[in-house]
Amino acid sequence: MDPKKNKNNLIGKSIPRIDAPAKVTGKALYTGDIVLPGMLHGKILRSTVAHAKILNIDISAALALPGVKDVITAKDTPCVKFGNWRLFPQTQDELPLALDKVRFIGDEIAAVAAISAEIAEEALTLIKVDYEIIPAVFNVDDSLASSAPMIHDGNPDNTSNISLDRKIDVGDIEAAFKDAYYVREDSFTVHSHSHAYMEPCASLAEVDSEGRVTLYTSTQTPYIVQCLLASTMEIPENYVRVIKPSVGGGFGGKMELRAWDFCSAFMAKRTGRPVRIVLTREDELAVGRRRHGMKIKSKVAFNKDGTIIAKDFEAYLDGGAYNSMGPTATFLCGNFGAMIYRYPVYRYRGYHVYTNLPPSGAMRGFGAPQALYVSETQMNMAAVDLNIDPIELRLKNAMVTGDKIEGVTTISSAGLVESITKVAEMTNFLEKKKNLPKNKGIGIGCYSFISGGVFNWFNTQYNFSSCEVRVYDDGTAHLLTMSADIGQGSDTVLRQILAADLGLPVEKIRLTAGDTAMTPKCDLGTWGSRVTLMNGNAILDASKKIKEQLSKMASLKFDLNVIHEVSFSDERVYAKANPKRGITFGEAVKMWVKANRGEELTARGYYTPRDKGLTTPAYSFGAQVAEVDVDPETGVITVERITTAHDCGTVINPLGVEGQLEGAIQMGIGYTLCEQFAMRDGKTLNTTFLDYKIPAAEDMPEIVSAAIDTYEPEGPFGAKEAGEGLVIPTAPAISDAVFQATGYRCKELPITPEKILRATGKI
Amino acid sequence: MSIRNFTYLEPKTLKEALSMHAEHGTKSNILAGGTDLLIKLRHHSIQPDFIIGLNSIPKIDYIKLQDGELAIGTMAKLSAIVENTEIINHFPALAHAASVTATVQIRNMGTLIGNICNASPSADNATPLLVYDAKVVILNNVENREINLDKFFTGPGKTVLEQGEIVKEFLIPIPSKLTGSSYQKVSTRSKVDIAGVCVSALISLDKDGKITKARIALGAVAPTPIRVYKAEEILIGKIPGIEIFSEAAKIAKEESSPISDMRSSADYRKAMVEVLTLRALNESLESAKKK
Repeated sequence: MDPKKNKNNLIGKSIPRIDAPAKVTGKALYTGDIVLPGMLHGKILRSTVAHAKILNIDISAALALPGVKDVITAKDTPCVKFGNWRLFPQTQDELPLALDKVRFIGDEIAAVAAISAEIAEEALTLIKVDYEIIPAVFNVDDSLASSAPMIHDGNPDNTSNISLDRKIDVGDIEAAFKDAYYVREDSFTVHSHSHAYMEPCASLAEVDSEGRVTLYTSTQTPYIVQCLLASTMEIPENYVRVIKPSVGGGFGGKMELRAWDFCSAFMAKRTGRPVRIVLTREDELAVGRRRHGMKIKSKVAFNKDGTIIAKDFEAYLDGGAYNSMGPTATFLCGNFGAMIYRYPVYRYRGYHVYTNLPPSGAMRGFGAPQALYVSETQMNMAAVDLNIDPIELRLKNAMVTGDKIEGVTTISSAGLVESITKVAEMTNFLEKKKNLPKNKGIGIGCYSFISGGVFNWFNTQYNFSSCEVRVYDDGTAHLLTMSADIGQGSDTVLRQILAADLGLPVEKIRLTAGDTAMTPKCDLGTWGSRVTLMNGNAILDASKKIKEQLSKMASLKFDLNVIHEVSFSDERVYAKANPKRGITFGEAVKMWVKANRGEELTARGYYTPRDKGLTTPAYSFGAQVAEVDVDPETGVITVERITTAHDCGTVINPLGVEGQLEGAIQMGIGYTLCEQFAMRDGKTLNTTFLDYKIPAAEDMPEIVSAAIDTYEPEGPFGAKEAGEGLVIPTAPAISDAVFQATGYRCKELPITPEKILRATGKI
Repeated sequence: MSIRNFTYLEPKTLKEALSMHAEHGTKSNILAGGTDLLIKLRHHSIQPDFIIGLNSIPKIDYIKLQDGELAIGTMAKLSAIVENTEIINHFPALAHAASVTATVQIRNMGTLIGNICNASPSADNATPLLVYDAKVVILNNVENREINLDKFFTGPGKTVLEQGEIVKEFLIPIPSKLTGSSYQKVSTRSKVDIAGVCVSALISLDKDGKITKARIALGAVAPTPIRVYKAEEILIGKIPGIEIFSEAAKIAKEESSPISDMRSSADYRKAMVEVLTLRALNESLESAKKK
């Protein structure tokens, strides 16, 4: 093992989450727990129709209700459109409150602030909205029909309901297919599902006498919310302070400014009283963001020996009523269509299509689960047709370190081959597959994922990740960062990284995070598995500057030769060649402060990926095997075991990675087998966890895993993404296992008992 | 949505509860475990001014043998049903159904009688109680009455209970010695889920191995949990076996009238009735033979 990977015995050490005691004892404060003096309760009125012009909104009766302090509609607001893709303003298609039109059932129309939640709810029932109904479309095909209504007709850039497209062309596609020995061509439908984070969204805003806003909100991107709230309120960004309290999960669903953020801030400004809005589970499931459902056509050409020669990939994304993070999904789906195997020739056509459904947004894996469900299922089908075992077929085509993805980047570390080999070995895959008992199946799926994004769609002027480190003569340090721990464990891992580098125990690192007014600008937030790599690098940058200063103290005190290396460990600063020649960390800081006439020793650290292509600075890889049992009479699938071998570079906190893996498998099983929205005419019918079915603890299979030892040169201590991408391989692995058990090959997720019985002629 | 304000009443006897219920009429609801009631309150599907909580009434959570019957009091929790040895020994299908009702948290709060009075067509515990010929003892201010469970349900969420009435207990006769029973359930999420379809069966044999008593009850495939009398009848006097069981299962399928909804299609539910009925009969037979 690389010695850098085990710095001060802290890298690679399982450290329980620092926030765990507070969370499990109920002491952690989430936005909905915070009460400010004089606080009002806000509620939002949502559209009950899928597509309509708003003719009139009568708020008089609601305003007259005793206890109601404010009622707002779009006409009371600056009506500034917003969206995360600031680099392309034409994609910013959302208003905090609908002005002239509603585009889905749940579109926000008005907001109320009252002295109690009950009164606010009652006030909503008193608001009268007159609609002129417009025909609505609830799927991509209907939305692209020539007779379809235009969903964003006010935008001159739009000539159809395709809000944007993405094209990738590498090599001569026609020629490649003409010479192919074997072509695999299939159409797939992959469905939408919910983040189902445990904490429904909430916001709480107060506005001071100078009009400056403090917003507490359940977000994974404090900086993005700060900037977009400022623009929609038409105030300087610096007048908005966003504080992220404890957050109960996000999975991509909390990375935008949302209507409740704006409404609580705007009504707080008007009333002079804090306003809190807390969503319910029903709100979240009925109208919340969700994963993009897609229709995908994929054609892959192979040589006789199984070498892939070309791929033609086309995806139609059901975006719902607004762009949200759809542009990124459209890009990433195309990028992941060309991932994990070498595709010398590749064509991608991706179309993001508006429909009158709740908007799709970012969600764990983000474009990759859909693209790789298709790719991996086709690999399994091709293996059958080419009579090559699925392990060999994959190994033949797997990306390796140094592979170039045309027009994108060069892979700086890849453990895919090792992962596939390892998982096959761990499960005795080929042997087991040959001798499957009746109704049992074994299947494989592989994945890759990014370690943060490079493309600056938010168009920030600041470094992607920043931090400040302050060190003190009592031997402690204070780390300040805007990064947002939403449950993934970054508050623990970032302290671990700084502690390892400074040679301090983790407990001696104080952390201030997720507060835009108190931490350096900026951090883009928690998405795309960017925090460990980008924030970790920013921390190492700051730490290096601190160590440089403190090394001077040791050097002076012990008259060290200029060639001597100074080490930091065990809370000491010392000559590496002669550890006795050293002082405590606190003493070194004290000397520095004396030497600098009372100045505080601090350093800023930054990271922005540069010269790393357009997608990500580092890719992780992995392979997963699912073993299932299918009841042939009921079609019920029991996932018995999931085995994973994954390459996430250096594992900084094994306990954290294990938690990510288990969570990913739970989410992956839900996506594959039981989670889906029941929709009727644009309305979400299953709005509780009784009918929106996520796997329960008792449904979890046996989980076995192995980490592949790789070192990512771009990552802090060699680390890269761990966890988000693990949600990808479960669906293709289970799907292939179900095929082995039943003969049913699923091209339309999810795999339900009923589909199995229909496919096997039982019903 | 927020729960509307109400007054919480805390009677100390069932009699007091009855008179409160009579006094406040339709403006009051009874709270036992509250696991169904609170959801209705939150969704505003009921908006009572008074909630009459039975929690402070002593000694009404009994599960006891008396006069050849098992009596289950109105506040007996589902978790108590799961663990009770008399139930495990004499009514294993009920113990099984209770053990897979919702989650451990709900079972610790929810009561068996509440689960039945909620009258969901898919209630896990309804079909076992039907095959065990449970009787419902109902209290009111005039005179108590007793009704067989198969006459208790009148529609989804509806029972014969009239305004002001409270269920005091269930009485379940101890089955004869050579009896076996079974509860079968299928649901899309597998282990922790509302039943997509559920079936209970019971078979009693005589010394010659002929069926003397048969019961088949279905859940989630009709507006109420139902008995399939036609299928039960054809089994009487027969030597049990795959053919006659298959025939009974086919009849059960035909007698069911499931709807298609977001949880399942009617086709799937009907197919499951046949599969689960056959499994329940087979398991009942196995267990009867062991005795």
